[in-house]
Amino acid sequence: MKDLSKVRNIGISAHIDSGKTTLTERILFYTQRIHAIHEVRGKDGVGAKMDSMELERERGITICSAATYCDWKDHSINIIDTPGHVDFTIEVERALRVLDGAVLILCSVGGVQSQSITVNRQMTRYRVPRVAFINKCDRTGANPDKVIKQLREKLGLNAVPIQVPMGLEGDMQGLIDLVKMKAVYFDGENGDKLRVEEIPAQYKDECDAKREELLDAVSMFSDELMEAVLEGTPTEEMIMAAIRKGTLSLEFSPVMMGSAYKNKGVQLLLDAVNDYLPCPTDVDNFALDLDHDEAEVKVTNQPTDPLLALAFKLEDGRYGQLTYVRTYQGTLKKGDSIVNVRTGKKAKVGRLVRMHSDEMEEIEESGSGDIVALFGIDCASGDTFTRGDYNFSMSSMHVPEPVISLSITPVDNKAQDNMSKALNRFTKEDPTFKTYVDQETLETIISGMGELHLDVYVERMKREYKAEVTVGAPQVAYRETITQRADFNYTHKKQTGGSGQFGRVAGYIEPLEEGEYEFVDQIVGGSIPREYIPSCDKGFQKCLEKGSLVGAHVTGVRCAINDGASHAVDSSDIAFQLAAMGGFKEAYMKAKPVIMEPIMKVAVEGPTEFQGSIMGSLNQRRGMIIGTNEEDAYTVIEAEVPLSEMFGYSTDLRSLTQGKAEFTMEFATYRPVPKSVAEELISKAQKKDKK
Amino acid sequence: MLKQELIEKNPIRHLKGESDAKESSRMGLVMARAGVGKTALLVQIALDSLLNDKQVVHVSVGQSLDKTKLWYDDMFKDIAEFCNLENAGEIHDSIMHNRMIITFNESKFSRAKLEERLHDLVQQNVIKPSCMVVDGFDFAKTDRAVLEGMRDLATTMDLQIWFSAVCNEEADCQCASGIPAPCKGMEDLFNTVVLLQPVSQSDCIDLKILKGTAAVSKCGKLLKLDTKSFMIRENCK
Repeated sequence: MKDLSKVRNIGISAHIDSGKTTLTERILFYTQRIHAIHEVRGKDGVGAKMDSMELERERGITICSAATYCDWKDHSINIIDTPGHVDFTIEVERALRVLDGAVLILCSVGGVQSQSITVNRQMTRYRVPRVAFINKCDRTGANPDKVIKQLREKLGLNAVPIQVPMGLEGDMQGLIDLVKMKAVYFDGENGDKLRVEEIPAQYKDECDAKREELLDAVSMFSDELMEAVLEGTPTEEMIMAAIRKGTLSLEFSPVMMGSAYKNKGVQLLLDAVNDYLPCPTDVDNFALDLDHDEAEVKVTNQPTDPLLALAFKLEDGRYGQLTYVRTYQGTLKKGDSIVNVRTGKKAKVGRLVRMHSDEMEEIEESGSGDIVALFGIDCASGDTFTRGDYNFSMSSMHVPEPVISLSITPVDNKAQDNMSKALNRFTKEDPTFKTYVDQETLETIISGMGELHLDVYVERMKREYKAEVTVGAPQVAYRETITQRADFNYTHKKQTGGSGQFGRVAGYIEPLEEGEYEFVDQIVGGSIPREYIPSCDKGFQKCLEKGSLVGAHVTGVRCAINDGASHAVDSSDIAFQLAAMGGFKEAYMKAKPVIMEPIMKVAVEGPTEFQGSIMGSLNQRRGMIIGTNEEDAYTVIEAEVPLSEMFGYSTDLRSLTQGKAEFTMEFATYRPVPKSVAEELISKAQKKDKK
Repeated sequence: MLKQELIEKNPIRHLKGESDAKESSRMGLVMARAGVGKTALLVQIALDSLLNDKQVVHVSVGQSLDKTKLWYDDMFKDIAEFCNLENAGEIHDSIMHNRMIITFNESKFSRAKLEERLHDLVQQNVIKPSCMVVDGFDFAKTDRAVLEGMRDLATTMDLQIWFSAVCNEEADCQCASGIPAPCKGMEDLFNTVVLLQPVSQSDCIDLKILKGTAAVSKCGKLLKLDTKSFMIRENCK
């Protein structure tokens, strides 16, 4: 069995285009997993190894996080390559869940951009220790010091460099390791020959100063080092131990630099992953005990304990469904029978493989803390596997609600079949991607986290499933809610032919501060018989599906019943459901309903000279500008803008700023729409009803 | 409590400038030791303008956008709680549209830049502020000319500007003889100068009016503020 202290499960996470995939590619090369280097947008047409999907190659972005395994200096490293675009944050979050540590990649020119802030926040949420790597130090305008300052200011990290670059931009020669106080050069065609030398005289002073700064910062984490520093005799081991301690406690982030493209600094980064990032036993992971009200239980990480494994990603491969799992304790062996805790279904582990992007390597067993893939197991992502002796689930992951939807129509019958296959697969793979059939228009609706998110799935349908679909205009997921309390007293009566229906329900509805819906039963004296109370609940819930204003989902309502009447013969389940529905409709308009729309937090980054026009453009889109932040020639404008106004913004922004500005957005909250817009929406909904 | 009552309870109501100064283009200064609540009072002043449906620009030197925004959210929440404000959520959403935060790095801040930014905003029709608060302005490193420039800005843009300044520990005993350092000798540029002082063993903060007069005579030159919401407390006179 492998020594767990030599296992690293790391993620590589960063802003789009900061060179994450290139870096992963280099890591795989130096660890001898691949034997040639292909660029992301390379001319050889092969593309980088990690971008296994055709579409990703075409767009130059990484969508699915492929898990890859490699060895570096007697440590095993599992790398999860995570997407950089904010629309795919569920992928990032899911990857973070199973990671023990992460490398945060930053561009030495762009620095900390809004996406990095999002990713950083997610890492803090899952308590992922991280080291930072400032990439692209070969680019014109590279300024690692500025980036480090931003790491401190914008991300609130205690970021301290442990390296000093020898030269920047075009004449970058190598790096100086501040722990060992040695200069490192990267020789050979692919930078694979390391040459360690004394520090050149011209960098001596700078290095001494930076080392002092580093010692100051890390001696906080080790008394031993503190004493040694005071006596002037700190050893390499002491410093490394202190850096590791600080990193694991999330109170310190070592900063490295280099250029993956120019093959500089990648090996040192791998050393740092081994030296400073945690192994599975360093991190506390918790499972939820389903028998005891989801109480948190710490997992043991012992290979001898009962099995606990989490399926965090599904992929539809050439040979059927591939399930990526991380084992948290116990051992997963080929031929084992395992139980899916959610469904209670048993399954047999037929093949166990270690993934290397889309090639794989068969293995016999996987110890705790490892990341492997299983074949032919039917499950959804987020499911937990045990051997049936445990009723534990790995904690449920934070899944955001979809904010945008569009209708898709297959072009022919064949496409229809393929489309449903594809949708079935996508919904299993990605919890933020949902699909349903609109009962009125009979159209298939897909919903997700953003325009690009849905775009990618439509493309994948075409390519992977040969399902040609026509796409409708994107629709924003509006919601309705009530703003005040209203009473109802409704009698449902039907006595025409056959058995009659009778039910009277009285009560009130009121706004609910937190949560979507609550049902309160305040019936005393049995004015509504016990057996019909759930019918009322059911009736209310049916009403919530479609509000009377624009037919949007109604949320934030507490429905209470306090009186009613029944008939010995004519009362039935359906009669009370209808009575409750009638009651709800009666009270709904009195309760001053409002339409809510998703508001996105938008951050636009661009040259200062365009600040005015960018703000103007946000203002036009009903945006509420929160503020601006100036730094050097760039300005960041933050605003909250309704999602419905953001369609096509990327095109507008490009033409407005000669392509020099970029923006990111993420869902912030739901907020009532202004009156004029509400009226428009209502009249549109009414017109649609009449059709 | 309703919005109107909330407005009346704001300490800013009691801080009238000198009689000859125009209400709309005055300059004010809040002084205190570090950590007493300068930013809180500035945010309070800004919120007062916002509640009066006026537009506000908040200039924050050296603080991040998110932090500044949090100040507003927290202050508003505290005030709403202190005064039992009705439908606070709605009022919050409606007034925040009229606020704009501009943040600068300490080294990047200059009057010319700020002026350019403001003109930009007005021209683009994004905001037409009638109140501006400047937090984190380093008085120790500025000369009179910059402040005079700001005064001109206040006049041309018809804007009231409030600054915050950190004073040192000894300021407490100096205040009898005028304005404490680092703003000594600049008092003629301001219409109102106030000093915040924590009161030990009490849940109040003293607001001393060093320049300008209090509108309500019974308060004299000293107001008691609640430490959390910075509203005037009636029960600890």
